[in-house]
Amino acid sequence: MRQIFPDHERRPGDVRGSFQDLMQWRVRRVLLVSSLYDSFMFAEDRLADALVLGEFLGVELSTLPEIHRVSTGSEALDEVKRRPSYDLVISSTRVGEMHAQELARGLREAGIEVPIIMLAYHERELKDFIRAHGLSDIDRAFLFQGDIQLFLAIVKWAEDLMNIQHDVDTMGVQVILVIEDNIRYYSYFLPVIYTAVLQNTASLVPDGINLAHKLLRVKARPKIVLASDYEHAWDYFQTYEANILGVISDVDFPKDGELCADAGVQFAREVLQRHSDVPVVLDSGRRENAALAEATGTSFLHKYSPTLLQELSRFMGRNFGFGPFVFRMPDGTEVARARDLRQLERALHTVPAESIWNHAEHNDFSTWLKAHTEFDIAYRFRPLKISQFDGAESLRRFVIDAIRTHREERRRGAVADFEAGRFNPERSFARIGGGALGGKARGLAFARRLLKDFGEDRFENVRLAVPPSVIIGTDVFDEFLDANDLRDFALRAEDDDEIEARFESAPFPLRIQRDLRSYLELVHYPLAIRSSSLLEDAKYQPFAGVYQTLMIANNHADVDVRLPRLIRAVKRVYASTFAQRAKRYVSATTYRLEGEKMAVIVQRVVGALHGERFYPELAGVALSQNFYPVHPVKAEDGLAAVALGLGEEVASGGICLRFSPRHPDRLLQMSSAGDALRNSQREFFALSVGKTGRARQGEIERYDLSVAEEDGTLAVVGSTYSPENDVIYDSLSRPGTRLVTFAPILKHGLFPLAPILSDLLELGTYGAGGPVEIEFAVNLSTPPGTPKQFGFLQFRPVVPALDPGGADINGYESGQLVCQSGSVLGSGRLDDIHDLVVVDSDAFERSQSRVVAAQIAAFNARLCAAETSYVLVGVGRWGSADPLLGIPVSWDQISGARVIVEAGFRDMAVSPSQGTHFFQNLVANDVGYFTVNPEAGEGLVDWEWLRGCPAKDETPFVRHVRLDMPVTVLMNGTRHEGVILKPGVARST
Amino acid sequence: MGSFVDDILADVKATNPTEPEFHQAVHEVLESLEPVLEQRPEYRRYKIVERMVEPERVIMFRVPWVDDSGAVQVNRGFRIEMNSAIGPYKGGLRFHPSVNLGILKFLAFEQVFKNALTTLPMGGGKGGSDFDPKGKSDIEVMRFCQSFMSELCRHIGPNTDVPAGDIGVGGREIGFLFGQYKRLRNEFTGVLTGKGLNWGGSLIRPEATGYGSVYFAAEMAATRGETLENKVCLVSGSGNVAQFTAEKILQLGGKVVTLSDSSGSIYDETGIDGEKLEFVKELKNARRGRIKEYAEKYPEAVYSVENPDDDHNPLWDHPADCAFPSATQNEINGKDAANLLAGGVWLVCEGANMPTTLDGVDAFINAGILFAPGKAANAGGVATSGLEMSQNSMRIMWSRDEVDSKLHGIMREIHRACQTTSKQFGVPGNYVLGANIAGFIKVADAMIDQGVV
Repeated sequence: MRQIFPDHERRPGDVRGSFQDLMQWRVRRVLLVSSLYDSFMFAEDRLADALVLGEFLGVELSTLPEIHRVSTGSEALDEVKRRPSYDLVISSTRVGEMHAQELARGLREAGIEVPIIMLAYHERELKDFIRAHGLSDIDRAFLFQGDIQLFLAIVKWAEDLMNIQHDVDTMGVQVILVIEDNIRYYSYFLPVIYTAVLQNTASLVPDGINLAHKLLRVKARPKIVLASDYEHAWDYFQTYEANILGVISDVDFPKDGELCADAGVQFAREVLQRHSDVPVVLDSGRRENAALAEATGTSFLHKYSPTLLQELSRFMGRNFGFGPFVFRMPDGTEVARARDLRQLERALHTVPAESIWNHAEHNDFSTWLKAHTEFDIAYRFRPLKISQFDGAESLRRFVIDAIRTHREERRRGAVADFEAGRFNPERSFARIGGGALGGKARGLAFARRLLKDFGEDRFENVRLAVPPSVIIGTDVFDEFLDANDLRDFALRAEDDDEIEARFESAPFPLRIQRDLRSYLELVHYPLAIRSSSLLEDAKYQPFAGVYQTLMIANNHADVDVRLPRLIRAVKRVYASTFAQRAKRYVSATTYRLEGEKMAVIVQRVVGALHGERFYPELAGVALSQNFYPVHPVKAEDGLAAVALGLGEEVASGGICLRFSPRHPDRLLQMSSAGDALRNSQREFFALSVGKTGRARQGEIERYDLSVAEEDGTLAVVGSTYSPENDVIYDSLSRPGTRLVTFAPILKHGLFPLAPILSDLLELGTYGAGGPVEIEFAVNLSTPPGTPKQFGFLQFRPVVPALDPGGADINGYESGQLVCQSGSVLGSGRLDDIHDLVVVDSDAFERSQSRVVAAQIAAFNARLCAAETSYVLVGVGRWGSADPLLGIPVSWDQISGARVIVEAGFRDMAVSPSQGTHFFQNLVANDVGYFTVNPEAGEGLVDWEWLRGCPAKDETPFVRHVRLDMPVTVLMNGTRHEGVILKPGVARST
Repeated sequence: MGSFVDDILADVKATNPTEPEFHQAVHEVLESLEPVLEQRPEYRRYKIVERMVEPERVIMFRVPWVDDSGAVQVNRGFRIEMNSAIGPYKGGLRFHPSVNLGILKFLAFEQVFKNALTTLPMGGGKGGSDFDPKGKSDIEVMRFCQSFMSELCRHIGPNTDVPAGDIGVGGREIGFLFGQYKRLRNEFTGVLTGKGLNWGGSLIRPEATGYGSVYFAAEMAATRGETLENKVCLVSGSGNVAQFTAEKILQLGGKVVTLSDSSGSIYDETGIDGEKLEFVKELKNARRGRIKEYAEKYPEAVYSVENPDDDHNPLWDHPADCAFPSATQNEINGKDAANLLAGGVWLVCEGANMPTTLDGVDAFINAGILFAPGKAANAGGVATSGLEMSQNSMRIMWSRDEVDSKLHGIMREIHRACQTTSKQFGVPGNYVLGANIAGFIKVADAMIDQGVV
């Protein structure tokens, strides 16, 4: 029988020595080649925290990695020439002018031998990259799916890779062999395994054990090796046979150069034949493989189980055996724990002076602070000698002061912890509870940073700011779920009302309640309670709109009345994580709900009180890229959509005004009086904050424009149509029909909206290294003498267009085409689609559009289950909120479509919706998007041909056609043109 | 006669080979004129038709302008001065990318007869440019208009050619064009119609079409010894035309029971009275809401959702005396016509442009009910343009009542012309034929009087 810590027995007294012996190669310096946005995301979402967690559990405080970021490949090459001491390089797929392969090659040529990792953000991006460039010069590719723990896994994996031979040889540490060929999957799985290993390692160490022993044992945690084919796996197994702690293997992976359906089973049999006591777990996406695993004598994990992490953790707890780090006095006695700077400061007041002295002697403070990315203060501590202090108490005062000063400095630019005494209700941005901030809050934190660089007062008489907010970290979500035993229930429950009811009745953590109470004592303005999940709004991950956002009036005099309302809203946002809509949505993506965690943003609503209503003069979204530019507007000139009142009008696809921030005078929607009458807002949204206790109090309600006119808000965004003169006048000074045209702002410079948006989009694009979307609201009803408010409500990068140029679409006869359009989003060539789902233009009835949506959803579900992509062809605007304008499908109902054709009604042309969440999903999922208005001479759809294709299946409105030969889709992303060719037509180019 | 018309058509095609729209217009007009050409041989002798299909003058010109980025843009401007036999050329300017010579000739040709029918002294013309105002800034539109007028101004004048607006040319463009004309010619004169009320425009413009159509209907009813008093009227639409049609019907004692918009229609058996109509005006003009809200406000009304795939429009299903289709093209098909007749309707007056399909028109004519084609019934809009010209010439501004009463007079005249003509050509009461021929005769006779020019 193999022993876990043989060397421990051999050298029991030489603890420090063995500590030094193990893990000699450490990742101390990481070169991150990515945009500023990525780097900021990592920092704010606690990249370092993630690493610290690992280090904490591993108690390896001396070797926390420093991360140095550069934006481009050439900067990276220059950097390693200047400072060749990096231990790990992590590169995005495209880094400035070169791609990751070229960078890797350059680094190797420059003599860099350390592991080079490529990190992709989207599965299709990864596949396209591999297809185009391969991965020959890259050690491992990973796919970032929103969980920052991936970085812990990457660092640990690299360290294990470099140390394993030495550590096994010298101390016989254990090895876990992981076999997985799918990059997406191991990118999800590896962090899970590392987390489980580290948690289990820490938890096994019994309390009271000597710290030195603990260090050793935790240090000697098992190493993990990752193989992606049978031969490498077997090679690893043979090399570390005596030390294999267990095997976690996929079922199908390559063997002898070909994908082998039962390679995992064969491997398990071989292993068990040689060592029947080695625990093996087979994991698979197919449940039917459970029986196969049982027959083989192994455990089984279902890859898509919603509780995979728990199951894996349980499996390792039972089969691998491991232990927690606690902060202790020099003799090992725990005196306090500090997980963050605030707790550290608090503890410093109470812990015995000798403990502080002891930690200072070992440089623990600076090490720990560095781990928390508090580099400024860490470096301030480091050069200090303990002999400079005349006693422990003086040291204590110094450390406390330094930390407090540092926190104050930090508060302005980053996410400080909430403290009632320091929270400025007009400006602050703080967090309550630990864990991640979530995608939306990270974006906001980044926006604050951008604004700080940009200059909040750059525009005269305007203050640009992220509204004051507190973020409730994801730990609170976890705590709430775990303490109330809600997780399993919520993952499995199918009734949204039941989930909401259970969540609302469950007690909220008291500590957080106290913080929220202190917060509410400071703020008396209306609050938006917004979801900020790990997946939501993360780069390439268009979860926007999946989870709930709520508003509360927060105007009752008694804080004890307001607090339960706030907590109820937070719980409702939590519950929305598990709503059926979210479940469907997540299952339609490559993500997993189990990995999802929810932070909550509690944010001041930008606006002012008008009568019993609270709202801003305008709100909207702006995109740095306009996918449908009309000459002379260029794609990069961006696009904004604004509406009077709260942003619901824009987000829900209501009538809003679209314009290019660089060309605010060119308003397509307002080209004629008739256009303006048809296309301008009729109602607006505001938060009803009327008399407390009124039924609708605290609800978002629709109001008529006349209400805005009475409120005085219409005057700054309105114009008047005179039927007598058939003219639109850019003010409300004449009698006539009131229209929301934003003319006073966009044409007459009442407020510099267009220049602000233009600058912010440019800045955001620079910061994120690609196109961005921002959400904003403007309050012009500020007290006299105070600046107008531009509230930055959200910031997120969006998927950049694929390779410019794209396919050659010329030279086809109209008879060869299924569809042709001069208004196409997407780029490239698809020639593997055999399936078409068609809503026939003749059969379609507008009054039946909801029925049609349900029928499409059913086809989509069947095709998705069979993993079959299809072309979706239909009339009207897809995803329209108004069922008369098109088919009101939600994204999850058409998630399998690779190409969508949107054709005009016979009596009405469609104009594509942009900037909405639906549209964003199309973009982020790289769906080709053809807009066709044959009646207006814009493109064509060969309906006759489609009708002539035999249906595999059909309903009264929808036909599913399966073709023997595939259609070919060609999209030219530069010219926004595309064609879908009938089978057999495509040229072989 | 067939060969005469065919010969002219062949000639038109040969001399204007690239203008299919124009060929179509000539074809339609000539077809409807066959009876008159048979009865009046002098028209052939003086080659009236041959002269009519040839514009008196075509002006085609370059319109260079500078866009906001400083780049020079060039468009093409046109003015077709089609016929001035009975007055200065009169007709709209259209700014749209589809504008070309053929389309404008087609529109100018039709305008000649439309204007003549009003009995006002207005010849026919049309103009415009392939400039697309969509997506242009106000300043660009202004620069374009100024450049356009810089050339056009030497060809137009209050006694020569008086353009108006059309697609792409609304009050804003008329203002820019007028400003530039005034500046270049140094004269404030009625050279364009559609001007702002406080600088030469006329009152009653929004009301004109609706009021005019009801006046026409009243005249028709009178031919059968009837008035509109206590008559149940179906009105479709809820825009300007429908609102003022309903208003005038109420003023004349009738009862309006329906209105509609693109989403559906309401039927109020108790009648849409003045107060309810005010609600509709507020709803549609100020709030731009849906007609459905009428039924929410007045529970006695029934709302029906518009279903574009239905083979008929339920609005025309209700029992009534009169129908005023005032919404859109082709809103009454054969089945609707049958429903109307079955519901007891004996008068149909078209407020919209071509709201009745051909088989619908045939059904009405065959049934012998009073049917006023849009060409005649909705001439109120064109008529007020003429009244604007008159006021400008006299340098006065008539009151609302004065304009209304003149409009009433014009509609009465149009009715008389249609009625007399139909009688003259042996189909008394056929206002379609009457309207087609009356305008033509007026122009043709004037051309003969003025010699071969």
